[in-house]
Amino acid sequence: MDNNFAGDSNPRPKWRKVAYGGMQIGYDDNYTDESFLEEMVMNANVVRRDLLKVMKDSVSISQYLCIVALVVLVWVHTLESSLDENSLLLLDLSLLASGFLILLLTEEKMLSLSLLLRYLLNISFFTTGLYILAPIYQTLTRSISSDSIWAVTVSLLLLHLFLHDYSGSTIKAPGALKHPNLTSCISLNASVVASVFVASRLPSRLHVFAVMLFSLQVFLFAPLVTYCIKKFSFGLHLLFSFALMGLTLYSVYALHKLFFLVFLFLVLLVNVVCPYWLIKMQEYKFEINGPWDEAKLCFDITD
Amino acid sequence: MAEPPKLRVLMVSDFFFPNFGGVENHIYYLSQCLLKLGHKVVVMTHAYGNRSGVRYMTGGLKVYYVPWRPFVMQTTFPTVYGTLPIVRTILRREKITVVHGHQAFSTLCHEALMHARTMGYKVVFTDHSLYGFADVGSIHMNKVLQFSLADIDQAICVSHTSKENTVLRSGLSPAKVFMIPNAVDTAMFKPASVRPSTDVITIVVISRLVYRKGADLLVEVIPKVCRLYPNVRFVVGGDGPKHVRLEEMREKHSLQDRVEMLGAVPHSRVRSVLITGHVFLNSSLTEAFCIAILEAASCGLLTVSTRVGGVPEACNVLPDDMVVLAEPDPDDMVRAIEKAISILPSINPEEMHNRMKKLYSWQDVAKRTEIVYDRALKCSNRNLLERLSRYLSCGAWAGKLFCMVMIVDYLLWRLLQLLQPDEDIEEAPDIFLHHHGEKIN
Repeated sequence: MDNNFAGDSNPRPKWRKVAYGGMQIGYDDNYTDESFLEEMVMNANVVRRDLLKVMKDSVSISQYLCIVALVVLVWVHTLESSLDENSLLLLDLSLLASGFLILLLTEEKMLSLSLLLRYLLNISFFTTGLYILAPIYQTLTRSISSDSIWAVTVSLLLLHLFLHDYSGSTIKAPGALKHPNLTSCISLNASVVASVFVASRLPSRLHVFAVMLFSLQVFLFAPLVTYCIKKFSFGLHLLFSFALMGLTLYSVYALHKLFFLVFLFLVLLVNVVCPYWLIKMQEYKFEINGPWDEAKLCFDITD
Repeated sequence: MAEPPKLRVLMVSDFFFPNFGGVENHIYYLSQCLLKLGHKVVVMTHAYGNRSGVRYMTGGLKVYYVPWRPFVMQTTFPTVYGTLPIVRTILRREKITVVHGHQAFSTLCHEALMHARTMGYKVVFTDHSLYGFADVGSIHMNKVLQFSLADIDQAICVSHTSKENTVLRSGLSPAKVFMIPNAVDTAMFKPASVRPSTDVITIVVISRLVYRKGADLLVEVIPKVCRLYPNVRFVVGGDGPKHVRLEEMREKHSLQDRVEMLGAVPHSRVRSVLITGHVFLNSSLTEAFCIAILEAASCGLLTVSTRVGGVPEACNVLPDDMVVLAEPDPDDMVRAIEKAISILPSINPEEMHNRMKKLYSWQDVAKRTEIVYDRALKCSNRNLLERLSRYLSCGAWAGKLFCMVMIVDYLLWRLLQLLQPDEDIEEAPDIFLHHHGEKIN
């Protein structure tokens, strides 16, 4: 409590925010001045978000969900033998060609012939290696029961979806700023292992090769292709995403009605409900800064 | 016969002698001054290696080294109810009236405060550090602090910035928080009898070489200053993970003869290192209250420090008279060092020391702490139900969890009372060491 004698002949001196000199005369140690918490800054670095922009950005996430759903559909059809190995190989080739075409069209810098030849050489090495190793994949999980395989595949795919870097390109695209970080490497590995597990359940060596090539193509290169499309034109990106969503929904509907409902619900959740929820939660944001913060070094520490 | 002590205080913390640091020194000096004022002080801390059991220190200060193992950074392993029996025994034996906990990072302190509240003792807490709000460790620490301080009688902070920080972190009312700064033992930190010659200006740095204490700033600043002033040399005392970077810096700029690395300096030798210098450099990135600056000023050194945390409050004596402040930026620090070197001839170490004696003293701190204890003793007693309502306001889920913890603690206390009634705990006799001779009460 403060003893303030009004009308005293010696008015007490002004309170100063200092630590030296002992107790200040006329003030208790627990005196709280009006300048208390004056230097506190609230919500200095908080980004104010707009609903429409968040919804447009969430289209990237649902686009990737559709891609993964299409891959799973191809796997399911191959395992049910409704898709034979020749059509799969055709699918692989067409995907490779179209991916290349898109990359060529969306890159501002024209790719030189030598670079193109180097890419073709790398791809042929990759494909040959995969073809030679196909028998190993075929017999890899022969001793493991099918149930374990499906369980592991589903969990690995979920892990892949959780940890995926939706704003990047998985492999470093020319001109990209972000280097792949730990979580995106883990997600890539999870998807590759999932494809190996699924491929190992297939009857013939050619099947295994075709499915492995397809899965690896999509998981490794699809993020790069979508990143290039997005960089080239946002409108084209939106068009591509909606087309993909339509194709996926149609294919899932043809497969099983329940899965179609679940997938539709998921897409709506990601595109509509989550952005709205995020904007609603922003009002609870309370960021506190003040003189007690640790100072930030303005230079980089190079070891 | 000596009169019975007016207050009987138990200081609890994980950090005490034989460890050296701000908190440890604070507890030691405060206890010594309270003993001289006629109170009884007992310290409780965890065992350090073989140092376990009861020890007596200068002035009759009794220290209980409770045999609990420290598990990370000198703090005891948190077993929420494990310390209840020993705390109860100590409180009954020594007939304690006030329990004073130190340092938010000390688990022993939080547990002892919790048990003391359950048993109805008055509780005071002192916070010595500044914490942020954003990272996972800080969020967890702040929640624990909120729990500890929900039902406290009074709190003490060592600077105004620290008071603002503590009030924000714990949700405590500002009227309950007292601002009592640390002080410096001016009798120990006397300037050199013969001032070292100013032909070669020596800049002393004594700190732990960690990121938080600005070791990286040192790595940037030292080569710049050595290039600008050929007659300046550095003495760096202290050890830590950034030691390697400083060694690399020495080799890269060939400063082996101008930068002397002393390694870890024991507290008893700090003064002898300080008096070899003219300027003291403190580059920490965050500091609730920097005692090192006071020690340097008491030894007659001019200080250059970063303007962070509670440092500006402690050092604004006269504009740039005893300390030169700089932003935590290498170029600004070099400018501050230049300014310090230019005003060095006008500095009189003896006069600085005498001024420090008037501005900071542990006796003054002890008197102000006494006022806090008296205020705490005047707080009304509350029964369990009233106290539980305070815990409920800590949060939607956390409040209910804290209430459960306190209820279980209360039940365990009653169980202990059944197994070993209060009357069966033997009370320790008070031993006073006065100047006139020993009187045993």
